[in-house]
Amino acid sequence: MKSYAQPIKRLIAELAKLPGIGEKTAARLANYILRATPEDVEKLAESLVEVKRKIRLCRICLNPTEEEVCHICGNPARDQHVICVVEEPDALAAIEESGVFHGLYHVLHGALAPLDGIGPENLRLGELSRRISEGRIQELILATNPNVHGEATALLITRMFKDADIRITRIAMGVPMGGDLKYVDKMTISKSMEFRRGM
Amino acid sequence: MSARETHKTAGFVLRSLQYGESDLIVTFYTREFGKIKGIAKGAKRSRKRFANVFEPFSLTQIIFSRRNRDSLAFIDACDILDHFAAIRMDLEKTLTASYFIDLAEHFSPEGKRNDGVFALLLDFLPLLTRENVSEPIIRFFEMRLLKAAGFEPELAACVRCKTPVANGSPYYFFPKEGGIFCTACARPQRYDQSISAGAVRTLLLGKDMDLEKMKMISMTESLASESRSILCGFISYVLGREVQSLKVLEQVRRYCP
Ligand SMILES: [Zn+2]
Ligand SMILES: [Zn+2]
Repeated sequence: MKSYAQPIKRLIAELAKLPGIGEKTAARLANYILRATPEDVEKLAESLVEVKRKIRLCRICLNPTEEEVCHICGNPARDQHVICVVEEPDALAAIEESGVFHGLYHVLHGALAPLDGIGPENLRLGELSRRISEGRIQELILATNPNVHGEATALLITRMFKDADIRITRIAMGVPMGGDLKYVDKMTISKSMEFRRGM
Repeated sequence: MSARETHKTAGFVLRSLQYGESDLIVTFYTREFGKIKGIAKGAKRSRKRFANVFEPFSLTQIIFSRRNRDSLAFIDACDILDHFAAIRMDLEKTLTASYFIDLAEHFSPEGKRNDGVFALLLDFLPLLTRENVSEPIIRFFEMRLLKAAGFEPELAACVRCKTPVANGSPYYFFPKEGGIFCTACARPQRYDQSISAGAVRTLLLGKDMDLEKMKMISMTESLASESRSILCGFISYVLGREVQSLKVLEQVRRYCP
């Protein structure tokens, strides 16, 4: 880093703050930006500013959107009785891509992470409580990630709404499609046995 | 370039952090090397080599290589010995196990073997799979960890006059002094919170009590809150900071009892 001019150092430092970007990758991106045409760099900079200015969280499900209410919450054809709870917008996007779910979502913007000090107050649970207390919801599908943090979050939500008159379900866990059993880890195998289905 | 040495050891996963696009930096508490940090190359991408293994508090068998004691370890292989599935299916247990490994991490300098700390995790994590979480289990873990790490508070006698703890009289715990004072030596100010001889005795008892007997200990609410205030106050004094996972554990209890 020492040999770079100050503005390049600053760019590398800013890029390295992005998730999944180490210093080496940041330096490579900075070099790319240096070589790019002024128009391309301006387009990139504008898109960064625009996304921050125009995008906000949907008033209902907290998914990032341009409007006050996102296109999913605003669509009367979606099942208004089911909420699928996810940790992050990218999980919502993945489920949407599959095209099989026709209900609504709720984005928590995180998961319980005790060692990082992330507790219930750091997740968007208050908004979820409010939606449930309105009384229209019949089922909550917990689609948090199948790891310790996601499991703990699912257990927390189950505990929060155990007395509410709703069905709470957890997405199934098991062997991946197209996989080979000999490469599947022990825990996943045991879950797939636990959640086997009749034929 | 000197040759790399390869080691094999059992270790608890303390935490893992994404590094770059596809790597993870994982912190373990190992039997032979104490707390170590290693890089798992490609762990984010390869579901085959490192599937599901770097989850907090899992007990694993790791093979790692490094150039010398001070260089970063490369994790070559990692196999699960125990996922502690029963802990992961229970919120209180997950939060408590997280607190245990959080404490182990905070009280362990990197690269320093400590058989006591490893044995403690090896006792208390399986215990959590069998028993429900209770105040005594948490407090006794804290007592034993402080002892193993060399920070055992003096609770058997007054730090100043050395008079052994006697029933009935109130005591005062001063983190700065590392132990209890009797009323005569403490010269308590109005804001100093006294603690009962009962709380002191219970903690002393839990220090080396047989694990299986622990479930027979029950603490009244006042005893539990006295014990908590002694130990958690002392721990944050020694560390110079609050322990995050304990805050989360208590936040969850408040949030949905
Ligand atoms: Zn929405
Ligand atoms: Zn004294």
